Amino acid sequence: MSTAQIHIHRAVMDDSLREAAATRAWLAERRLKMFNFIGSPGAGKTALLEALADALAGRLKFAVIEGDCATARDAERVAARGISAIQIVTGDGCHLPAAAVHQALADLPGGMDCILVENVGNLVCPAAFDIGETAKIAVLSVTEGEDKPLKYPGLFRKAGALVLTKTDLLPHLRFNMDTCRQAIRQINSAAPLFELSAKTGTGVAALADWLQAQTNPILQA
Amino acid sequence: MHEVSICQGLVKVVLDELTQRAIGAGRLKRVRVVAGQLHQLVPDSLTFAYELLTRDTPAAGSQLDLRMPPLLAQCPGCGWNGAIEPPVFLCEACGAGVEITGGDELFVEALEIDDL
Ligand SMILES: Nc1nc2c(ncn2[C@@H]2O[C@H](COP(=O)(O)OP(=O)(O)OP(=O)(O)O)[C@@H](O)[C@H]2O)c(=O)[nH]1
Ligand SMILES: [Mg+2]
Ligand SMILES: [Zn+2]
Repeated sequence: MSTAQIHIHRAVMDDSLREAAATRAWLAERRLKMFNFIGSPGAGKTALLEALADALAGRLKFAVIEGDCATARDAERVAARGISAIQIVTGDGCHLPAAAVHQALADLPGGMDCILVENVGNLVCPAAFDIGETAKIAVLSVTEGEDKPLKYPGLFRKAGALVLTKTDLLPHLRFNMDTCRQAIRQINSAAPLFELSAKTGTGVAALADWLQAQTNPILQA
Repeated sequence: MHEVSICQGLVKVVLDELTQRAIGAGRLKRVRVVAGQLHQLVPDSLTFAYELLTRDTPAAGSQLDLRMPPLLAQCPGCGWNGAIEPPVFLCEACGAGVEITGGDELFVEALEIDDL
């Protein structure tokens, strides 16, 4: 028996890429921006969204899409700050699938300036799946160690902005900020880096300004 | 770690092609996949996931043939180009951040089937 080669040259995640493209088109039609926050479990993504709710109040109207393996706790936390939040429960899924995000768009309230997505807590998988976002935002906390960017370069390479959070804890840790900055810059020399504490609010304003500038470039000019 | 999720996408594409082309169970021998180094896939993990996810499907028993092109980059500053080793994405010549020019591909190249 002989064998035949069938050349197909087809993208491995082509259905997922199609959903992401549909989301991108949906956002473009409405002149909306969407930011995909990605970081380890407990890095402080929800705390950051809570801090942004305060920092952006009266400036930028945003809705939140939350992704977690189980529970609607994070959506409830964000909603408690007066932000519209939709929870996607992924079960075993280690990342938010593009299709689930696209479906959630229909449930968002109108009149928003941008959408902030909190992906499932995971440094690896969410970075591999495009959901149609304007930019990925990597969230690393200082308690995770300064070598994490080098160990998980995928996310840090793809990120359009980088957040180093929980800086209020620095006095209690052996964490070399310069080593961490250097590691980040080896991987991604261009994206802005925001060092902040969601707890004390230090540095959150700079990220809020950046988000506003990305969302309404004309108003900023 | 992300091998399983990526493999789900891969198996979906393979099964869809088999259905579309009316290729029956057991005829698929080999799947040629190109996954550039940027994706940092661990071949053993991908192979393991592939065997698991194709079990009890028309693709069961087929082999995964993985090609991983090197990560290539170009320096917008000085024009240097060549292969780079993740996680360092800096120009070897001048130290500036580089642009990726290859090694980011992720697709199914070909299916090898038994010719009836
Ligand atoms: N000290 C300090 N603690 C923080 C900060 N941000 C978050 N935390 C704490 O870190 C823990 C995890 O914070 P979350 O916001 O739930 O983290 P998360 O990334 O949303 O976690 P998952 O959604 O489960 O992946 C909580 O106990 C927070 O109170 C910070 O800036 N400083
Ligand atoms: Mg959270
Ligand atoms: Zn150079």
